Amino acid sequence: MDGNGPVAPIRSIGVPMPMVDGPEKISGKAQYTADFYDHGALVGAIKRSPVAHARILSVDTSAAEALPGVHAVITGSETDEGHGVLPVSRTELPIAFDKVRYRGEPVAAVAADSIEIARQACDLIRVEYEELPAYFTAADSMADGTVDIHEHRPGNIERHVDYEIGDADAGFAEADLIHETEYHCAEVCQVQTEPHAAFAEYDGERDELTVRASTQVPYYVHLMLSKILKMRKSKIRVIKPYLGGGFGCRTEALNVEMITAMLARRAKGTVRTVISREDTFITHRGRPEQTVKIRMGMKKDGRVTAVECSTVQRGGAHSGYGIVTILYSGSMLFAIYDLQNVRYDGKRVLTNTPPCGAFRGHGTVNVRHAFENAMDEMAVKLGLDPFAVRRVNLIREMGHVANDLWVNSYGLPECLDIVEKASGWKDRKGKLPAGKGLGLACSHYVSGASKPVNWTGEPHATVNLKLDFDGSIVILTGASEIGQGSSTILVQCVSEVLGIDPARVKIIAADSRVTPKDNGSYSSRVTYMVGNAAIEAANNLKGVLIEAAARKLDVNPEDVECLGEVYRAGTQDEGMSFEDVVMAALEGTGTITVKGNFDTLPESWGGKKYRGAAIGGSMAFAYAAQVVEVTVDPDTAEIKVDKVWVAHDCGKALNPLTVEGQIQGSVWMGMGQAMTEETRYHDGLMITGNMLDYRVPTFVESPPIEAHIVESNDPHGPFGAKEAGEASLAGFLPALTSAVADALGVRVHELPVTPDRLMQALEDYERETGVAAE
Amino acid sequence: MEHMPDFTLHRPETAAEAVRLKASDANSRYLAGGTDMIVNVRRGIETPATMIDLTSIEEIASVSVEDGGVRIGAGVKLKDLASHPDIRARWTAVAEAAASVAGPTHRQYGTVGGNLCLDTRCLYYNQSQWWRESNNFCLKHKGEVCHVAPGGKRCFAAFSGDVAPAMLVFGATMDLEGPGGARTIPLADLYRNDGMDHLTLQDGELLVSVFLPAAPDGTVSSYEKARIRGSIDFPLAGAAVRLRMDGDMLADLDIALTAVNPYPHLVKGGDKFVGKPLDADALDAIREAVRTQAKPMRTTTVRPWYRRRVVGALARRLAARLAG
Amino acid sequence: MKSLLSLTVNGRQRDDAVAGNLLLVDYLREVVGLTGTKIGCDGGECGLCTVLVDGKSQHACLTLAATCQGKSVETIESLADGGRLNAIQRGFHEKLGAQCGYCTPGMVMAAEGLLRENPDPDEATIRTEMASNICRCTGYVKIVEAVQFAADEIKRAGKGREAA
Repeated sequence: MDGNGPVAPIRSIGVPMPMVDGPEKISGKAQYTADFYDHGALVGAIKRSPVAHARILSVDTSAAEALPGVHAVITGSETDEGHGVLPVSRTELPIAFDKVRYRGEPVAAVAADSIEIARQACDLIRVEYEELPAYFTAADSMADGTVDIHEHRPGNIERHVDYEIGDADAGFAEADLIHETEYHCAEVCQVQTEPHAAFAEYDGERDELTVRASTQVPYYVHLMLSKILKMRKSKIRVIKPYLGGGFGCRTEALNVEMITAMLARRAKGTVRTVISREDTFITHRGRPEQTVKIRMGMKKDGRVTAVECSTVQRGGAHSGYGIVTILYSGSMLFAIYDLQNVRYDGKRVLTNTPPCGAFRGHGTVNVRHAFENAMDEMAVKLGLDPFAVRRVNLIREMGHVANDLWVNSYGLPECLDIVEKASGWKDRKGKLPAGKGLGLACSHYVSGASKPVNWTGEPHATVNLKLDFDGSIVILTGASEIGQGSSTILVQCVSEVLGIDPARVKIIAADSRVTPKDNGSYSSRVTYMVGNAAIEAANNLKGVLIEAAARKLDVNPEDVECLGEVYRAGTQDEGMSFEDVVMAALEGTGTITVKGNFDTLPESWGGKKYRGAAIGGSMAFAYAAQVVEVTVDPDTAEIKVDKVWVAHDCGKALNPLTVEGQIQGSVWMGMGQAMTEETRYHDGLMITGNMLDYRVPTFVESPPIEAHIVESNDPHGPFGAKEAGEASLAGFLPALTSAVADALGVRVHELPVTPDRLMQALEDYERETGVAAE
Repeated sequence: MEHMPDFTLHRPETAAEAVRLKASDANSRYLAGGTDMIVNVRRGIETPATMIDLTSIEEIASVSVEDGGVRIGAGVKLKDLASHPDIRARWTAVAEAAASVAGPTHRQYGTVGGNLCLDTRCLYYNQSQWWRESNNFCLKHKGEVCHVAPGGKRCFAAFSGDVAPAMLVFGATMDLEGPGGARTIPLADLYRNDGMDHLTLQDGELLVSVFLPAAPDGTVSSYEKARIRGSIDFPLAGAAVRLRMDGDMLADLDIALTAVNPYPHLVKGGDKFVGKPLDADALDAIREAVRTQAKPMRTTTVRPWYRRRVVGALARRLAARLAG
Repeated sequence: MKSLLSLTVNGRQRDDAVAGNLLLVDYLREVVGLTGTKIGCDGGECGLCTVLVDGKSQHACLTLAATCQGKSVETIESLADGGRLNAIQRGFHEKLGAQCGYCTPGMVMAAEGLLRENPDPDEATIRTEMASNICRCTGYVKIVEAVQFAADEIKRAGKGREAA
């Protein structure tokens, strides 16, 4: 031992550490799915339906198959097995068979020598359609006498959720003011920068398949591949390479990877499919168009006595996450404020548009937008400060809230204090120059869904650690690093427990042949669940190392002091180096593998008060408050966001740098939805399926975002942590509309608040009131 | 590999050679920066058998300040135009317009000629081959129906270049070279009110350079556009204003618009404000004149109603600001 | 019909037979084998494929490879400095300018182009001059910090050299 100075465990938690895979990504070395090439690989291409709703009468592939250079042509008859998120609604086929249900749905696919031949072959495939009436809005789809888009969903209602918690009527009777308001949110799309891609290698000798896919859920892809290909799971290997974002659109198996796998098997070779940006848009799984009506009862002091929320989502042509989304919209009305009396009515509607999915802030965002706006509208009517209205409604006691969600840590009060101070609210609100305004809103999100969609009896998370002769520790995890930094967090968790140099800890993630199963990166579950599993695994390993050190030092294990890089028996002992302890531990056993698991507590599983009440159940909720400042151009009605102050209660910032990055990214993504982004259709044909007409904000109009971290130390979270990457999104939307209302006296009820919508609202206001807006 | 239609590429080094190559294949296109042309080729909107790349022609790639004006080669990059000190000082609107095109990278290799000859744009036209085919194409390309104004026989695709209106207010002229020789035309004559075929260039004609005449001392000008995002987006509406005050009286005024008609529109009737003070009433009248002459149609996701209103508001505030 | 393309890619002279319709991005990724340059859209809308051509940023997805005859093309793979991240890359790493990393190669090349021309940009300049590049993860805040960090590093290194 060199031993200069006191030896202490090296701290990794709470340290703003750059990402462990940063250098690969920043040097161009990181291989994403589209970066896999193979000299023998065929090019996959998908032929898509030009019509929105039709029976498929015939598909003639003969000319395509005859084209030189074509190696496989597949159609809807390739599999009769459907895929989908929920076991009850696996009715989507990778390639449409009897019917097409949206414009752009795959109807055939080709593997060929080149993209040119593949495209030409697609053009040669003749599909005969018998068109059916098509419905592009929820209202049209729900009208009387419509044709069912799916046989098992008569009337095109995917799910109607209807329940009451507490006594809404009694709550309204108690109210001093009852106010009703309605908000309309356009459909939005994730637009992760990486278009969907898959690379499938079929091993004809063994009848085995290896698939690399741009997915957040490699294990769901694995299950669905097994199902649709009717192949034993053990014959399939799924690898998730580096991933260019997801934001929820890749939280279910997508047709791209399934089609590529089917093509590879059919062609008996390797197929690489990279779809265009337009096709990535059409594959969709974005946030649905949604109308939210809120009726709210409030006391004079701002206390909410009752809420009635009715909402309709245009879900698109397949079930996807639909039922979960509409349930989240109801359950997540709770667990942010002390709310006792709520009536919820939610309809998820099937339409002939591309299927929606689980966009960041899943199910909660549009409802939160309407709810917070309703609060703000009532604050104005009652002459109350928006902060006061939030504060008077804060949750007072930890534990189960009215709909049985389980709240154990709650930093929202501190979030409010921080953004109030940071934004200078008290001094500036109401005193800004003309055209400027401030708005406040709060939001929250789950830290992983406590009940898995597919209940198998396995733990929620499993992490293996491999310790070998070289003194390095390899984390083996199925958890999908998707850019959120999960691999970095797991390295930090393991390093912290052992007190060692994080450079010793390497990670291999998301390769089904190597890593333990993990459900994937969605609903902000990875840090909480996999982080806890990693901590348990590291503690188990530490136990092994302490035992080994005790043997060598000839003391009892409880007398061994673990200082990370040094293990010793008392302060006088010069101790053993970590590497010597490792060699001692390996004696007689060889390479060591330990594991850690994590399971949720039944108290967090949500209630039983209505069907589907488990949706929303989580071990912990993260909270955020944000203030948005805007300046409105009186000539053009353009809104400039001057600044955002946001505080996010993430329990404990395991890595303040990545937490900040997540908060800023969430707020900004909320800004996109609030101000510029919308998915539109022309007779069901996506008219915004490119990055010019679908407007992801650029550098220029994106504001400075001052992120503050609040640490409420969740009792069950890994080192007290909870989620950091979703809760801050939803608050931006209502904070923006409230800031505009503060600036102009006019509130826009339709998102995004583009200048044309704002100008319209201003002129409507002038017409209705006879006075110009402020 | 991205899907790319096949074509033969030529890289001439002189304008004359380019013109000769163009004439030798009727199904050929000039290619400058490619920021718009290659997108259209990739989408199957343009299907040339031959492309004639103009980026090696040095004679069309420089700016020269001459007596009485400035000559700008068609191959000059938008960024170089935007940062040229003389143009910034004396033809300010032109520099501002060039500085506002698309995004900074586009301006590094996008050219003046490309922006002036930019194809007209429409939501139903600037889409993929699959999209347009699924929508039965449109009047502008391969189809029978205009989806913007069904039943109509005219195409309303909007000219969306930024530089043209700024050059129009300075009375720019174009030097063209074609199989039949060279000619010079006013910039306004380069365009016609037809979204389907908005350029008056004759077969094989190449835009060689633009000449901006010197404006009288005291001339000020500016360009501004409305768009949803602060970068990359094409304009939803844009206005260039050039004026000169003589004391409190307006001595000279020209306004031109973009993205609200199938051609860059030089606003008519500006002269009736000349010789009078540019007071609030006059400015309001200018705004209304602009709104009347702007004819945006449903060619973008943003409503024409807004584009018409905003283009008037922009022209008004530019005029007010320039008048001081 | 293919013709011979002679150019330098990341400082190395190359001669390749390329078709006239070959896009520079496909040339780099599939002919040269440099997959660091990414594709994110169907043409010029996202900036992911940004490379430097004769030192200036350009979309490789809208550039025909053949038009780079005799030119110098630089991609993300050229930037490492003695096997380590260069100042801009270090800024992106230390300041978390990259999350998922997919926009990063193009973003870094846009920053490289900017700092070569303007070594000391203020925040507004960074935002304006990099605005052809879309990032979907960061909200750009930390990218701005990364570029500012890099500019400071480069300045410091320059001063160090002068002092020496």
